[in-house]
Amino acid sequence: MKPVDLAKKLRREAAFEPAVLDRGKAALMAAIRQEVPMRRPTIIPRLPYENVGAALSFLERAFGFREVPAARGVRADGAIDYTMVEFGDGMIGLGAQGAHGAFSPKRAGTASQYVTVHVDDIDAHHQRALASGAEIVSRLHDHLRDYRAYEALDLEGHRWRFLQWLREVPSK
Amino acid sequence: MGSPSDAEVIGRSLGEPEAFGLIYDRHAPALLRFLGRRVGSRIAEELVGELFRIAFERRKTFDVSRASALPWLYGIGSNVLLKHRRAEARRLRASARMAAAGGAADRRASAAALDARLLFPRVADAIESLPDSEREALLLFAWEELPYESVAEALELPIGTVRSRLNRARARLRELLEPNGKGRERSR
Repeated sequence: MKPVDLAKKLRREAAFEPAVLDRGKAALMAAIRQEVPMRRPTIIPRLPYENVGAALSFLERAFGFREVPAARGVRADGAIDYTMVEFGDGMIGLGAQGAHGAFSPKRAGTASQYVTVHVDDIDAHHQRALASGAEIVSRLHDHLRDYRAYEALDLEGHRWRFLQWLREVPSK
Repeated sequence: MGSPSDAEVIGRSLGEPEAFGLIYDRHAPALLRFLGRRVGSRIAEELVGELFRIAFERRKTFDVSRASALPWLYGIGSNVLLKHRRAEARRLRASARMAAAGGAADRRASAAALDARLLFPRVADAIESLPDSEREALLLFAWEELPYESVAEALELPIGTVRSRLNRARARLRELLEPNGKGRERSR
């Protein structure tokens, strides 16, 4: 027997319960947040989706949202259980439906709320949403010479309202 | 969309600290197993937290020319383990008893089995009494199966030094295989 093989004979695995890694992650993230105070909005709504992963890519592609680093929770089968997206100084959670009794409009048949998002360039945003196949349910138009807005459904039927104050829209 | 390298993630975590969570997701399972082999599950669970907190605090010092952070994390783990030498020695002796019992049960090789009862506790003693840096090099190589370059990265040593430490550790263990002190033949 080679000396290194001798040492290998004493290698013994330790048994861990599956939750150990999650606890470690939670503790680490808490430590990181304490180190660097997070700029988090006080209120973060969470929207339920049947397929969180597909919803995330759609929201990134169509609306320009960005996933919050390290916010993601993944199930044993690799599917995303929940995550968060940010846009400007706002944040929205995306979570698997059924949790906390909330269901996707795709299953519920109707949306029970809509989310308003202020954007910097409403025309460009509208173009991007159109190009990505978002279903526009209220066309882009000006309201009371106050703001310009449109409404779109995401791929599971959540309703989003995007608007920009007209005083901020550059005159062409 | 390709996933970013560890170096990119750590770079990003300088501005967005929470990005460091991805380093945990990628490497915590391997490091938890590593710590578990060394000090058992209970202490390993504490240490994996300490390891990543230290890594987070020191992330500025990570050499971004390295694509993978794993050897660097092993190195931090090795340091964290130094404070738990007693737990480590206890586990090593228990493993030796189990290996010895396992060997004795295997009656097909009776001579070897007889030796096993005596041999493994001595192997444990030998590993235990190696200088820290030799023991660490040996166990990263033998148990974690890291290549020399990664052991060198983990221990922040030139590769030649790792090689000579491993050779010294091997020589110590080889003596145990030859009960009457000196070897019958010098290897090469």
